[in-house]
Amino acid sequence: MFDAQSQKGANERRVVLFWRSTLLLVILGGWELYGRFIDATWFSRPSLIFSRIWTMAGHGLAGHILTTLTEMAGGLMIGVPLGALLGLTLGRLPVTAGVVRPIIFGLYSVPLVTLAPLFIFWFGLDLTPKIVLVAIVTFFLLFFTTFAGVQTIDRELIDNYRLLGATRAELLRKLIAPACLAWILSGLKIALPYSLIAAVVGEMLLARSGLGFLLMFASQQIDMTGMFAALVVLMVAGVMVGESVNLLERHIMRWRLLSV
Amino acid sequence: MTGTLIELEGLSKTFQRDSNAIMALSPTDLSIKRGEFVALVGPSGCGKSTILNMLAGLLRPSEGRVSYGGEVVNDLNLRVGYMTQKDTLLPWRTVTDNIGSPLELACRKTPKAERLEKIRKMIEFVGLKGFEKHYPGELSGGMRRRVALARMLIYDPETLLMDEPFGALDAQLKLVMHDEIQRIVGGGQKTVLFVTHDLGEAIALADRVVVFSSRPGRIKAIRSVNLPRPRDVFRIRFAPRFTELHEELWDQLKDEVKKGVDT
Repeated sequence: MFDAQSQKGANERRVVLFWRSTLLLVILGGWELYGRFIDATWFSRPSLIFSRIWTMAGHGLAGHILTTLTEMAGGLMIGVPLGALLGLTLGRLPVTAGVVRPIIFGLYSVPLVTLAPLFIFWFGLDLTPKIVLVAIVTFFLLFFTTFAGVQTIDRELIDNYRLLGATRAELLRKLIAPACLAWILSGLKIALPYSLIAAVVGEMLLARSGLGFLLMFASQQIDMTGMFAALVVLMVAGVMVGESVNLLERHIMRWRLLSV
Repeated sequence: MTGTLIELEGLSKTFQRDSNAIMALSPTDLSIKRGEFVALVGPSGCGKSTILNMLAGLLRPSEGRVSYGGEVVNDLNLRVGYMTQKDTLLPWRTVTDNIGSPLELACRKTPKAERLEKIRKMIEFVGLKGFEKHYPGELSGGMRRRVALARMLIYDPETLLMDEPFGALDAQLKLVMHDEIQRIVGGGQKTVLFVTHDLGEAIALADRVVVFSSRPGRIKAIRSVNLPRPRDVFRIRFAPRFTELHEELWDQLKDEVKKGVDT
């Protein structure tokens, strides 16, 4: 019975895989034929795009990828801990949270892209303005998820820990923070793809390197092949970020399984 | 047993819900001696748990006052250990770490070796040997209750507040826990306030049983149990004094239980 089912599952997977590859080949083939025999001005074609990526790989593509990754990592390293920490703290201070709530919501309501020119004025053309951009985006995401996490902690659990004689700091460190760990991790899960978006958007506005810069540079030259090449690299980067998020999620699930 | 430890004087509590004032506890006087085991019995919502919360300093009285050791309680009362009906174990910590958590706090910082030794003894005492590395989620309800009990006993608080601690356990397991409680506190080493709606449990364990009316809670009867200690909780139900008390107090309680259901 079980064997038959797993057999069925394996068959299904094989069928899905076959049609998936077929579909991909049809799309790429159609695109290639269209570009070769009709018009390649606005759409380029896959063979050109991949050979361009190959050329770029030998001419500093790694550097551009590294720039974008550095901006993401730098921003995440600032935004994630600060957001989580503020969420934990304000989560326990309802009055203060009420006071600063309009400020936080006001700041959060400003569309992220519109902040980029401001940061370029303030922090120059290097990595700094993009790192700040990523930091701000991820800060808010972590703040909101962690804050929500604190609100879900059982009142009785907190009272009980206080009655054991815990100080405010001990309560935060030994009860509130670990209880919110799952929330912080799921905030991080959302923050990772956003960090890529923020870094690339920042680069598109003004930069000397990075994947967003590659895209912008190609578009200014009306270089369709270059634009698609940058987009393909971005797609791969996005998929990889998504995959790392999945790994993280599996980690969260393990934690939950262990603890509930 | 010397002197009064806990004193309720005209203690009452009114909760504000939307625009309605709901009186949970009408003015109540009660004094409890050091080393005494007092059971509070009554229908749900009669303010028994409210008394414990006020005694622990988690709630402020609406009127009157509650004093502990001669001082009015107006902040968290750290001299009491509180075991609630609900599980308050930390799900991400093992049995060992949960039981040891009171000893990790700065207010009673204990060296690691001493802490581990105390935990080991306590685990043995409540019969959780072999489960040291388990998480609360991996334990049965009865085992979790034992962990909660051990966590309360390990820092040796002067007074134990227990709010229907075994309410969720089956009848057999309840008896086993009663036996444990009886061994720990039966000799008058601890003052205990034990809230329950199980009259049999109250009589089997306590020195005095206080019966409350339904909401707003008011003391309806107080009886001394006068059964010799140590008690055999497995057989105490057949003692004539137990039956007599049970019958007498049940007459007091049954009308209140009915009223509680009607409203």
